[in-house]
Amino acid sequence: MYVLTEYIVRGIQAGSIYGLLALPMSLLFATAGTIDFAVGAYALLAAAVATIIAGPLGIAVAIAAAVTAAAGMGVIFLVLTRIGTKDHIVFALASFGLAVAIASFILWQFGTQAFVRASFSQFWSLGGIRISPQGVINLGLGALVTLLLYLLLYWTDLGRMMRAAAANPSGAELAGIPVARIQFGTYLAGGLLGGLAGIMILYSAGLDFTASLSLTLGGFGAAIIFGITSPLRCLLGGIAMGVAEALAAGYTSGMVTAMVPFLFVLIVLSASNLGGAMAGDRP
Amino acid sequence: MRRLVSLVLSAAAAAVVSSGAALSADAVKIGVVLSLSGPAAVFGIPERDAIQVVMEKLKADGKLKRPIELVIYDDKTNPTEATRMVTQAISNDKVVAIIGPGTGGNILAAGPLALRMQVPLLGPAGTMAITDRKNEFYPWVFRVAPSDRVDVKVILEDMAKSKAKKIGVFFQEDAYGKTGVDFAKEIGATLGMEVVETVSAPYAATDLTAQATRLRNAGVEAVFLQVSISSLGASFVKAANQVGLTAPAYANAGLAQRSFAESVGSEVDGLRVLSIGNLPYDPSEGEAELARLLKQAGKVPQGWGELVGSNGLMTVVAAVNAQGDKEITGVTMRDTIEGLCGYPAYARGKPCFSKDSHDGWAEDSLVITELRNKELKTRR
Amino acid sequence: MRGFTRRPNTMIVLGLAVASVALAARDPVWTDTWVIVGVFVLIALSTGISYGQAGILSMSQGAFAAIGGYAAAVSTLRFRLPPGIDLLIAAALPALLAYGLARLVTRLTPLATALATLALGSVIEIALRNMDNITGGYIGLAGIPGIGIIDTPLKYCVLVWVMICLCVLMYENLVNSPFGRALNVIRHDRTRAQADGVNVPQLLSAAFAFSAAIAGSAGWIYAHYISYISPNSLDTHTSISALLMTVIGGSGIILGPLAGTVFLDVLVRHLPAQELQGMFYGGALILILILAPTGLLGLVPALLARLRVHRAPRGTTKAATVEREATQ
Repeated sequence: MYVLTEYIVRGIQAGSIYGLLALPMSLLFATAGTIDFAVGAYALLAAAVATIIAGPLGIAVAIAAAVTAAAGMGVIFLVLTRIGTKDHIVFALASFGLAVAIASFILWQFGTQAFVRASFSQFWSLGGIRISPQGVINLGLGALVTLLLYLLLYWTDLGRMMRAAAANPSGAELAGIPVARIQFGTYLAGGLLGGLAGIMILYSAGLDFTASLSLTLGGFGAAIIFGITSPLRCLLGGIAMGVAEALAAGYTSGMVTAMVPFLFVLIVLSASNLGGAMAGDRP
Repeated sequence: MRRLVSLVLSAAAAAVVSSGAALSADAVKIGVVLSLSGPAAVFGIPERDAIQVVMEKLKADGKLKRPIELVIYDDKTNPTEATRMVTQAISNDKVVAIIGPGTGGNILAAGPLALRMQVPLLGPAGTMAITDRKNEFYPWVFRVAPSDRVDVKVILEDMAKSKAKKIGVFFQEDAYGKTGVDFAKEIGATLGMEVVETVSAPYAATDLTAQATRLRNAGVEAVFLQVSISSLGASFVKAANQVGLTAPAYANAGLAQRSFAESVGSEVDGLRVLSIGNLPYDPSEGEAELARLLKQAGKVPQGWGELVGSNGLMTVVAAVNAQGDKEITGVTMRDTIEGLCGYPAYARGKPCFSKDSHDGWAEDSLVITELRNKELKTRR
Repeated sequence: MRGFTRRPNTMIVLGLAVASVALAARDPVWTDTWVIVGVFVLIALSTGISYGQAGILSMSQGAFAAIGGYAAAVSTLRFRLPPGIDLLIAAALPALLAYGLARLVTRLTPLATALATLALGSVIEIALRNMDNITGGYIGLAGIPGIGIIDTPLKYCVLVWVMICLCVLMYENLVNSPFGRALNVIRHDRTRAQADGVNVPQLLSAAFAFSAAIAGSAGWIYAHYISYISPNSLDTHTSISALLMTVIGGSGIILGPLAGTVFLDVLVRHLPAQELQGMFYGGALILILILAPTGLLGLVPALLARLRVHRAPRGTTKAATVEREATQ
């Protein structure tokens, strides 16, 4: 029982990172109906920059870099909508192209080194289970961001506009809401949150230049578990995925553990209706 | 007048030689097909850097009996790309030997090509299968580094000195990791150690505390790390520290990299890492010379990639020099390499090939190092 | 003769195949490249059939090709089956798997399908590399024999391009058939198709299975040509590349995937090598998505129209453009 609890605790600690990666996925899907494949790349970029530049300055520059990259994606998105692209997969593909480009840029600029930083050497004990303060910080940050997002979405005008744009883009447009600008802003939020996740990973497990697509898929898996259109449940989704991975690593083989994020995606997608209407129906 | 004629003639000759239009009887072309992008680039890039600086040095010192020209290709850590590049090097550039491809899988893919086009491959990979005698292309593949089996044997022998009986293995999910586990089980048994638990993770795993917990719960007395991705290795040692996995850790040569040593904190001082020589931190005389050449070219030695790359080049150079003025083809290169034993190289140990053994380097090129203060110190 | 004019795409690809193979035959490197390009064209065509016809955006074609390749390897290495028979297995195995799983993915919107098939492909990849006893695990299987009399690169080149022509022929027949028209309706409006009496799930599953069979046969050629297959050979990257090639070439157009594959391959070969490759690859993709959204071949009608307008004599220009605009 104790062993099981320990694995669950570890999973909860690790899951907050997935939650943070999942938030922008969910936001973007709600407002623009598409996926940003480059979220993992933003995380990687932030981790790389913060490895080179130490301390709080490094973190600030890292997040700025991630947001800048996301702004690039936002611009691509705006250009694509301007020329009349309607197929959501095209936006997703463009973001994939950007993800590939960013990963290559990181390899070119930063080389093949590991991006990892030591954080705390002291550990706290929770009923005999050793917990790293970094893990607690990760969880706390995840919860804080979720709270802030909740406040933003439900207590501010901007939030109301975002929800309107998500629910009915043409109606929102008619009401004078700048839908395209909101979608652009959502991409930027993706950069911010992705960058934050990258910093968190940097101080926890670390990563290297091959990580970007896996992070994106992990974030997507966490986003869809409890409904991709509700950003607030993303943290829970992330924790669920983290716990599932930890339990799999603890009790099953490496093969099953590796499959966890993908099985999540498959099971949830086959059991639900992603985003509402059946494929191909007239709206 | 005569001076003018001879000037014109020599200029014409130089033009012919440098245009490569007619391959003069002297110059020899060697292909270099390494992983310069993709996951194996951590080794491929240092391998290529070393080959280039050593080549410059040999040219400058006049150590080459005939000119050697290198053509460099990137196999992108992908077997399809590896075969394409090897085909290109042999068909277009007419190379007589290839240093590479970069990984075991890529060498297996290129083996049949080497056989068909009769050009030897000098592979800088530890994967056992590449010099398996059952391969049809066995005569055409040589290994210019110690094999994985030799690596595992040496590090486990060091582990056995600590009298550990129950050991655990953490491996990365790829060919390197998996074969390491299999050898650990086999060789560990002969040394009186039993592998009681194995855990693994893919390259990009974000959290390894569950894996470390599992090893700790199994009560292992020592941990064997079969990892070549330094961020994965660093994550694991951090996780082990976090969950209280205090058993001493022994890492295979995959982690003998600068990027690993610099990314872990002082809590893992005492970690033993097997290394092929110790180029960055505690070089032998030959290694120090190589390090100097690299630094002059603005490259920082990363680990043993540079040594293994230079092994490939030195083997080629020895083979070319041994053939004097005779015509050199892929077949003659292969035959000559099979006769090489004890020739100049920057790595430690005595390189030796024969018809029956295409593994040129053995235990004497390996050292056990210990991680202290972000450096790998050789244990005497 | 009517059969020929009704199938312009097949005619075009036949001509292209003959010309290109003849050209490739002159240089061993070109021959080798053209075989590999051919394999990727087949995989891209399978993606095109799945997406362009059935609206199923599949990112698991690489995995299906891998299954085909491993099936070919295991059949000939372990069971010593004669060379042509393993093609049937290599095509049938992924097709059966795809048919079985089709219900899972065919209900979803294209974006969701893409992600579901991406996950599926990854699961297949992980399974393949852990089945050590059958697939050789991470090391893979080496020493795969050739296909009987097909023993030189040039013969492989001819074989793969013959297969491509057959595939395009089948594709074109499908498009012009009642099945193809039904798939077209499904792609635009599923409820309407159901109202027309089309068995939507079954037809979509069949289309998905068909595309998987094509991918499997591409894997079959790959395995025999390279004589080595590993988890890295045909994986998620292959699936993603196939999708990119299809979209860039034009997913709704039969020859789109072919154009996309050839274009991307040429592009990749002329880039400054090594670390920067990904940057140019991604950047080129984005540019193409912006400048040619219906794909490269989608630009052809617009270009042709432009040429015709320019060529029309002065007096009739206005009428001609009005007529053209009305019919576009």
